[in-house]
Amino acid sequence: MNGEANSNPPGSRSGVSRRMLLKGSAAGIVALRAVGLPAALAGTGGRPASNAAGGLPRQSKVIDCHAHLTHHSRRDWEADDRKLIEAADKLGIDQLCCSTLTPRWPASLDGFRECNRWTAEGMKRFPGRVLGYCYVNPGYTGEALEEIRRCVGDRGFMGVKLYNEYTCNEPVVFPVVELAIELGVPILHHAGHSHYFVEEQPRLTDSGHLAELARRYPEAMLICAHISGGGDWEWAIKAARPTPNLMLDTSGSVTDADTVDMAARVVGVDRLVFGCDSSMTAGIGKIRGADLSAPDKEKILGGNLMRLLGRRKA
Amino acid sequence: MNIDVNAYLGHFAFRRLRHNTATSLLALMDAKKIDKAVVSSAAAITYRNAQAGNEEVAEEVRSHRDRLIPFAVVNPFYAGWQDDLKICHEEFGMKGLRLYPKWHNYSLSSPSCREMVDAATERGMIISIPMRVEDNRERSWLLNIPDIPLDEIVELVKAHPKARFLLLNGLGHTGSPLGRKNNGLPSNYAIELSRLSAVLANELGQLITNLGADRLMFGTGMPFNYPDPALVKLEVLDASESDKEKIRGQNAATWLRL
Repeated sequence: MNGEANSNPPGSRSGVSRRMLLKGSAAGIVALRAVGLPAALAGTGGRPASNAAGGLPRQSKVIDCHAHLTHHSRRDWEADDRKLIEAADKLGIDQLCCSTLTPRWPASLDGFRECNRWTAEGMKRFPGRVLGYCYVNPGYTGEALEEIRRCVGDRGFMGVKLYNEYTCNEPVVFPVVELAIELGVPILHHAGHSHYFVEEQPRLTDSGHLAELARRYPEAMLICAHISGGGDWEWAIKAARPTPNLMLDTSGSVTDADTVDMAARVVGVDRLVFGCDSSMTAGIGKIRGADLSAPDKEKILGGNLMRLLGRRKA
Repeated sequence: MNIDVNAYLGHFAFRRLRHNTATSLLALMDAKKIDKAVVSSAAAITYRNAQAGNEEVAEEVRSHRDRLIPFAVVNPFYAGWQDDLKICHEEFGMKGLRLYPKWHNYSLSSPSCREMVDAATERGMIISIPMRVEDNRERSWLLNIPDIPLDEIVELVKAHPKARFLLLNGLGHTGSPLGRKNNGLPSNYAIELSRLSAVLANELGQLITNLGADRLMFGTGMPFNYPDPALVKLEVLDASESDKEKIRGQNAATWLRL
């Protein structure tokens, strides 16, 4: 078991399992882990050269910007992690940017530290394939910042993952954003917008909140998670439009036609990053199905994320 | 041959659809190497009188019957449904139904629905049931239409052993008797793959093991969905080529008597 549960972590309202949040949104939780970021980014590990999901451009690296390693409380976590890599192999995905999330929220201090340790181990188990996001609950202000410094600075993580403990425009989140700017790493923020109150996620962030945060911090590299993750994606795309430092992640189980095309029309291909969030064939299929040029698809599949990762400060 | 058993024509009330005319859908099918598609009216999902949508589809596919196979949307609680069913079958040549019990606000176990299933079965028509139209989280503020619980399908297939049911846009069958081996249910239903996983949990592979490849069919949900995710599933599926051929189109061809 992870180390959470005894006291109420910051951001507490109601404990919600990840399983519940994933309901209707693809498969279970998957996992992984990588080696120091610069080295990991330089290669593609043992990924086979062939690309089973033909029809996609393959000039540059394909990077899934939104993946998860399995929490070790799950009996089959190792096998599930291997399945993720096997799925990536089949689909021609070179690298996966992974976080490990606590099974319940809000995450406790011990809970997210343990998850990040497992992510670091996953990076070593799958060198060059798994890149790590440092997951924190911003409510543990000092400890969260310390954890991010340790993960990005010492363990070579590529970015920060924030979930639903707080809405992203709450002041408690600002120090995390400021540290990410200082380190030059992106923040992938869980998000969704539905036209009803999502009781299980009272502090759910949407792309409008993220746009507000992006305006407050124009140097920040923010990624709005899974525009195909279930909510009104047309709303999500339109709300993100005015802020150039807010990227949209294409992941999620929803395969509605025109999602990627509309995102490209409204915010531009330079602001789209490919992701799966465990919905692997949906993730690849949407990019393949989009009516975009091969160079544009290459940007989405990996070029744009590489550009963000290139801004990392030593 | 690729036969898509889950395609649509026309407008949908809550979102613009591209490729929703016969001409544009056929162009998309050409681009994706899909030979034939079973189509029904997207508009009939929200029309009060669904038959108007069936008439639109019948007109739209008139010149393309070699590739577009029309199904009828019928609401067994709407006046004149028996006449509509007869017209759809005999005049429009529609080989099956698409049922929307949640959208049309009736129960699959209601006497009227049971009567319609029997009437369609007597005519040799397939009864297809989309378990959802869209992900519920993206719903309009105007309505809240739940997915059809698989338990309701279990009861339906048991009650009509001679009927042929085609389940669309579903997942989680392996957690229900519908997807289990030796489940005691009649073999009168097939499952379409557009929402099934083909890697990780690999529900598609599990269903091949549990039910056999004869019980699975290729479908995309286009133009609601990009067709590519469903195509990718078949590409990466760890199954024999003969099983894949069955799923791609042989099973549908048998059911549709093509």
